[in-house]
Amino acid sequence: MKKAFVICSLLMFAVTGASAQLFYTKNGSVSFFSSTTMEDIKANNNQVISILNTRTGEMQFSLLNNAFHFKKALMEEHFNEDYIESAKYPKSSFKGSISNLGQVDLSKDGVYTVSVTGNLTIHGVTKAVTVPGKLTVKGGTISASAIFKVSPKDYNITIPAAVRNNIAKEIEITVTCSYEKKS
Amino acid sequence: MGKRRLLLIVIILILAAAATIAYLLWNKPHKDVKEAKGIRITAAYLYNQYISDSAKARTAYTDKILEVTGEVARVALNQQDQQIVLLKTNTADAFVNCTLEENAGSPKLNSTITIKGICSGYIGGDADMGLPGDVFLIRGYLNTK
Repeated sequence: MKKAFVICSLLMFAVTGASAQLFYTKNGSVSFFSSTTMEDIKANNNQVISILNTRTGEMQFSLLNNAFHFKKALMEEHFNEDYIESAKYPKSSFKGSISNLGQVDLSKDGVYTVSVTGNLTIHGVTKAVTVPGKLTVKGGTISASAIFKVSPKDYNITIPAAVRNNIAKEIEITVTCSYEKKS
Repeated sequence: MGKRRLLLIVIILILAAAATIAYLLWNKPHKDVKEAKGIRITAAYLYNQYISDSAKARTAYTDKILEVTGEVARVALNQQDQQIVLLKTNTADAFVNCTLEENAGSPKLNSTITIKGICSGYIGGDADMGLPGDVFLIRGYLNTK
């Protein structure tokens, strides 16, 4: 009987232990930067939902395209209406997992280089991507960051000829998220 | 004055007008959220609208200026040091998530306040991990009127 109780408590601990491996944020940040000799364009989105499962290494990110904020109202308008078509494709998302989770010890403070592989969906087009990133563990909190490039052409985003020289062929995306533990 | 000279003046005037219009369009200001009037709504009702009929809610609220009233669940700062205020809904752990353009001081937890901002829509959480999504409000201001 005593043995059964011990096993039961261990099992319960295992279950609750597993559910405590989930981290999330609803205010992560994604920004993009396009640089040409004509002009630099930058936009920020600070309403990114991201979930990290530290047991399986699964990571997901999703954001609303219309929440990107530009310095110029006209750029914001063109981005939403002509390029990303926010009304038709309101969200962009990524779903994937850390492929080198074995090299990460989240119980120890440090900066860990990770490689995340998964599917990136922008403008209704889904592509398999591998992105290098960093997981930072500091005093029990986890944050993630990544910088990578995407080409608008790969996601069927057409840039009109008139502004083709103003928008880079490859756009730099920066992701930063500070997670909190799901209770 | 010769006909040619008149034509030249007209062309210059047209070009100047076109340049002015282009310049004004290029520097067109963002929506003035602070001074605008918004649709008055409670956080709980807004959230339920997105959950029950997302297509209808998107037409009615997405990209519109809203004045959302709700109870403060949390006040924090994002990575750009902008203030974030979470307003409670009727669903546990689900909020109207407001990012403020102008710091609202320190609204008291559980107090009822109104935030005016542009609604960007709803993002679902993850059902498997029991994390509900939020409705987002951007470029927000504390409504003191």
